[in-house]
Amino acid sequence: MSVFLSLFKKELQTCFLSPIAFVVIFFFWVLTGLNFWWLLVQLADGESLTMAQQQIFGGLIGFSLLVIVPLITMRLFAEERKLGTLESLLTTPLTAIELVAAKFAGSLVFYAVLWLPVVAYTAMLQRFSPSATFLFPDLGAMRAGFLGIMLVGGLYISIGLFMSSLTSNQIVAAISGFAVLSIQFFVLLFMAYTAPNPDVRTVGQYFSSYAHLLDFSRGIVDGRTVVLYLSYTAWFLFAAVKVVESKRT
Amino acid sequence: MIKVEGVTKKYPARLAVDDVSFEVANGEIVGFLGPNGAGKTTTMRMLTGYLPMNSGRIEVAGYDVATHPQEVRRRIGYLPESCPLYPEMRVDEYLRFRAELKGVRASARKAKINEVKEQCGLTEVGKRIIGQLSKGYRQRVGLADSLVHDPDLLILDEPTVGLDPYQIRQVRELIKSLADKHTILLCTHILPEVEAICERILIINEGRIVAADTEENLHKRLHACTVIEMEILAELKAATAAIAGMGGVEVRTARDLDGGWVWLELEADSSAMREELFNLAVTEGWALRELSEQEHSLEETFVQITQNQGAAQ
Repeated sequence: MSVFLSLFKKELQTCFLSPIAFVVIFFFWVLTGLNFWWLLVQLADGESLTMAQQQIFGGLIGFSLLVIVPLITMRLFAEERKLGTLESLLTTPLTAIELVAAKFAGSLVFYAVLWLPVVAYTAMLQRFSPSATFLFPDLGAMRAGFLGIMLVGGLYISIGLFMSSLTSNQIVAAISGFAVLSIQFFVLLFMAYTAPNPDVRTVGQYFSSYAHLLDFSRGIVDGRTVVLYLSYTAWFLFAAVKVVESKRT
Repeated sequence: MIKVEGVTKKYPARLAVDDVSFEVANGEIVGFLGPNGAGKTTTMRMLTGYLPMNSGRIEVAGYDVATHPQEVRRRIGYLPESCPLYPEMRVDEYLRFRAELKGVRASARKAKINEVKEQCGLTEVGKRIIGQLSKGYRQRVGLADSLVHDPDLLILDEPTVGLDPYQIRQVRELIKSLADKHTILLCTHILPEVEAICERILIINEGRIVAADTEENLHKRLHACTVIEMEILAELKAATAAIAGMGGVEVRTARDLDGGWVWLELEADSSAMREELFNLAVTEGWALRELSEQEHSLEETFVQITQNQGAAQ
């Protein structure tokens, strides 16, 4: 456990000290700001509150995860391979599981920090809600929404981490992560919303993370979806452990 | 401390290590030599459990590397060839991080870190960022890291590569000073380093151990006879005839020098022949200004051993 903690601490440190972290934070916060402004415009235009509620986690931000997450995860293992520090790490008594878990946890914390402005926006909206009995946005839905973005983000991070474990080149890690994420994202999105065959649409809605994000931000927490994300995340982390254990050169 | 039995490692395109066996006893300092690409680093990596082997068995401190990698790693301090470090960390931070990973108890950590910093001459750079340190300091940070958990066995892969001569000397002194507390396997292709530090030498070539002995014995094995150089003031023909007449000495080459001096290279059965040569010079009335036994350099021996094997294949 103490090994995990020191790895985790080191991971957070590297994460927040790297210049790329500040670029990512800057762009994401600009994006959440734009999203908030757009939300206000829609509310002023008399958009229905359910639609507006979806806007908080959906929209542009949902799409931006495809770029943001690979930027967070690209260095995780690729950098260690490049520097040769993977060798010095794996010749200490730590296990590959601890290493992967610490890197995953570190990235997840950084990812959570990215979403902090949304908490502030929620508080602001509630403060200016028209009546004390009817608050917008709905707190329960907000909790579900945060659960949703953490689940989706967790899966995306595990995919990015896996891609990073395969290479010693950060650019390759970022681009392959981006490719895998966007292919699954857009294929499932089109299946879910534009496929002519209703069965294909149903399957698409089961798997599309965009559809899930909208569900979560409306306050719908489906146990099946939660299990889906947790098990996929675990699978990719497991695959990354196996890669780290076996790909040593 | 180390027991390697019939270890083989295949890479997709080539056989890197081929049926290698050797042992290193407790407290020994062993030099591990070989030309580039001979399989040195691969062997080191298998010893630390970083690379799996295809067949064979490695035991470190009584633990099998394949089945108890954690136990083995706890007892090894390994300095990889490129001395990988995190450039963005500070020296103190890095050493603390490494000590935590290696399970140095929290109560002993600070003292231990200060101790290795002092040993490696890092006391003044503790607050500096590793990326801004010179190569020599970085090498010492790597060395301090390999010592921080007080390992029984130190495996150093080319610890002085890229250092200036002064730093090389410092690192060598440091390694020597570690010898009484640790078993050391020093991997290098810089031969004077091995001559200066090691008690025993392993030579690997093309994936096979071709020699494992003390430096002295290696020389003996290769050079059955003693070579003596001699300079005398005498007539060349008479001198060679007189020396050849002694028995037990053969003249290899003889050459006239300026001022009537003669330079001779002799092959003798033993170094005791030097005394007899002196006596001969006295009786013959030759002035004598040099009578020395040729020292064999490890370099010569090394080249001979690795090339003989190449020729045999």
